[in-house]
Amino acid sequence: MNSWLRQHRYALAVTLRRLAGQPFSSLSNLLVMGLALALPLLGSAILISVQPVARELSVTPELTVYMRVDAAPGAAERVAAQIRAEHAQQIEDVRVIKREEALAALRNNPAWSASLAVLPDNPLPDAVVATLRTGDDLATRADTLAATWRKLDQVDVVQLDSAWVQRLEALLRFARIGLLFLAACVAVVVLATVFNTVRMQALSQREEIAVARLVGATESFVRRPFLYLGAVSGAVAGLVAIALASILLQPLNSALVGLARSYGATFTLHMPPASLLILAVVGAAALGALSARWSVTRNTRF
Amino acid sequence: MIEFQHVFKSYGRGRNILADINFRVEAGEFVFVSGPSGAGKSTLLKLIGGLEPSSRGSVQVNNQRLEKMTARARPYLRRAVGVILQDTHLLFDRTALANVMLPLAVTGNPTATASARARAALEKVGLSGKEDLSPIELSGGEQQRLAIARAIVNRPAILIADEPTANLDHDTATRIMNVFRDFNRVGVTLLIASHDQELMARYATRTLRIDNGKFADSKGAQV
Repeated sequence: MNSWLRQHRYALAVTLRRLAGQPFSSLSNLLVMGLALALPLLGSAILISVQPVARELSVTPELTVYMRVDAAPGAAERVAAQIRAEHAQQIEDVRVIKREEALAALRNNPAWSASLAVLPDNPLPDAVVATLRTGDDLATRADTLAATWRKLDQVDVVQLDSAWVQRLEALLRFARIGLLFLAACVAVVVLATVFNTVRMQALSQREEIAVARLVGATESFVRRPFLYLGAVSGAVAGLVAIALASILLQPLNSALVGLARSYGATFTLHMPPASLLILAVVGAAALGALSARWSVTRNTRF
Repeated sequence: MIEFQHVFKSYGRGRNILADINFRVEAGEFVFVSGPSGAGKSTLLKLIGGLEPSSRGSVQVNNQRLEKMTARARPYLRRAVGVILQDTHLLFDRTALANVMLPLAVTGNPTATASARARAALEKVGLSGKEDLSPIELSGGEQQRLAIARAIVNRPAILIADEPTANLDHDTATRIMNVFRDFNRVGVTLLIASHDQELMARYATRTLRIDNGKFADSKGAQV
């Protein structure tokens, strides 16, 4: 066990010596990886900051249930009662708008009053307006409820009044997928950078590798410093990315303060939670080690 | 113990560098392998050190059949066989001490132990006081002795050296050969490739003569 630990300590020391031996090259590699990793971090900072605001904005998602024009009197009240009874968990409020009230409201609107005057009868149906509780996955819930209520007795049409909520959620979903795509591209950048760094190191350390093998080094012993190189590069690049993203958020926040104030709101972009940042650093280190393993296996066959 | 049985070595479809080589060296022997340049001496030593595989036949070193040895087991054989090649393969970006400490780092020795043993090995080959110098600051003879120190620091059972005194003056060559003789006296098996007749006459207890990949004449070789 002690011997195993000593070998790992030796590998880490060799890694740090090699990194320090080429300071300019090491720093530029770390900066490139750090900048690349900063992009998805910034993206996730924006997404994480926008999500709660979007939830706040989608205040009154409403479903309107239009009864048939020839529906029996009291049918709307029965549907409203049924909705209240069966979907109380998901409903904030249910109210009935009688066809007479709707007509009266339309007549008060100058754009509609002239058109309605020529009609012999009231063309509007009774309606039941249900306000949904806000929360996760609102759009899907609204769709499900609309499909259920469409089957209720004497119901003609169910309309989702807050379709824009769906659009916003779709936009956020698109942003999330875009962020994943960006993260995948950055992962490729990290893989390629570490692969090439390890390749160059392996080529420049050919003599050392040959001598180590000559005196009885196992392949694990030969490859271990390169794996550490990849992991250390990934982890340090992750930390650089966090620092860069934090710095870049400052001017963005300064610009946003004015915009948010004009809407009477206070809004700031903030970094993802610490657990996500730790995961990003660990992920970058694992990615670096993986790339280094691939590279060292290919480039030390001599 | 080293034993070759009907060993052939060729590269690709080229001619045999070694052809039907048979010999046995017992533990503790001091054997010279002699012959002209290109005779196959270096190849013979590389087969013993597990640095290259034979094309055919059986090579047994330290009771292990090398042709049956897995790639994973090969490094452990190399720890038992100290190798000194014609090109010393020293690392010029580190000190003499660090060069000698490398085999001990490979086996996971503590730094303090490795440093003490490496200093002892340097003293053994007469390089005390030069621990902190880079190999580039050492003369050709000193570099050769540094390579020897690196080969012996892990206390190998077998030591093989390819032309260790080539290009060295007479005094330095004698000094190096005396170092080898001292190791042999404490039980290390020695195989040295050389074409220096005078050295062989002074130190050899047995000489394997090789020419064109075959034993031309063997004093004590079991053909």
